Amino acid sequence: MAVCSTTTLSIGGSVFSGQLRHWEPNESKLFQKPRSRFRCLCLNDLHLLRFRTKTLNFNPRGSLLPSLYAYGKEADDAFLSKVNEDTDEMFDDLMKKYGEVVFRKNDLAVEMAKVASDVKAADIRVLFVKPLVYWTRFFIIATAFSRPQIDAIGSRIRDLAEKKYGKVPSGDAKPNSWTLLDFGDVVVHIFLPQQRAFYNLEEFYGNATLIELPSETQPPFHT
Amino acid sequence: MGCAIVVHVYGGTPTEATPQELICIRVIGASNCRYTYIGDVIIAVIKEAVPNIPLEISEMIRAIIVRTRKELKHDNRMIIQHDDNATVIIDQEGNPKGTRIFGANAPKLRQLNFTKIVSLALE
Repeated sequence: MAVCSTTTLSIGGSVFSGQLRHWEPNESKLFQKPRSRFRCLCLNDLHLLRFRTKTLNFNPRGSLLPSLYAYGKEADDAFLSKVNEDTDEMFDDLMKKYGEVVFRKNDLAVEMAKVASDVKAADIRVLFVKPLVYWTRFFIIATAFSRPQIDAIGSRIRDLAEKKYGKVPSGDAKPNSWTLLDFGDVVVHIFLPQQRAFYNLEEFYGNATLIELPSETQPPFHT
Repeated sequence: MGCAIVVHVYGGTPTEATPQELICIRVIGASNCRYTYIGDVIIAVIKEAVPNIPLEISEMIRAIIVRTRKELKHDNRMIIQHDDNATVIIDQEGNPKGTRIFGANAPKLRQLNFTKIVSLALE
């Protein structure tokens, strides 16, 4: 099954941008005769990719095969026409098999929202942002009304993630008017009311799916 | 060693409602550092500003470098190079002063705990 990734590479002045995929020796016009150094790489696609990136960083006096460059350039055209059909079918199959399961695995996000609700955070939203951004899956946006409350929410969420899921967040260690905790798949945003209105992340991620929480959140206090 | 952004070189800002050009004066966290790269927090002065923004010319600000013309080498042997030098203006707490960020951002920003910039970025 072909797996594609988009990348931009700059090698020795030549710029390649496009989609890399796992190479099968039968398909290449250049490598009619499989060379010994590549033969072993065909067994495992992952190793092939790694080895290729290594060869591209040889010193200038070393033997960088010009066919490697030509392969990347020449294969681009062949890739584009063939990859579109294959990738569409592949993604459809993957979504049918795993799409719903991936969406349902939001236990961490929902539990964090519940913890925030216990500390009386207001207007808690859990957004499924995976279709919009590549670097995370869920956003949790909450409003706190003072910096000690932000600190309390942050520390409770950190404790929960560390004890139950073994995840340590990166992000703000000190309470901030906008405190962010990055757990990889889940990113928690804790705002003061003015910052929440100023940055307005819900509007920015308006196309994200809002996940319904099992318990209702606290209504905002009037200031 | 090539240079990325040398102190006292112009750089742009890609956020909304922010000035057009800055001069980098100092790098925070490093003494007498000549060069800066993506992810460095700098002190800069505004040299050119668009009208109707809260910042003025000759104002000292803090900024994070998000793009450089100098190529950035990643651990996975990938090299990324942008067409311009760009920064995002931040306040003393480290929060961006603008509400949206335009242009491409390097993935390295998230590793350096600048996820706020990544979350406000359009691309």
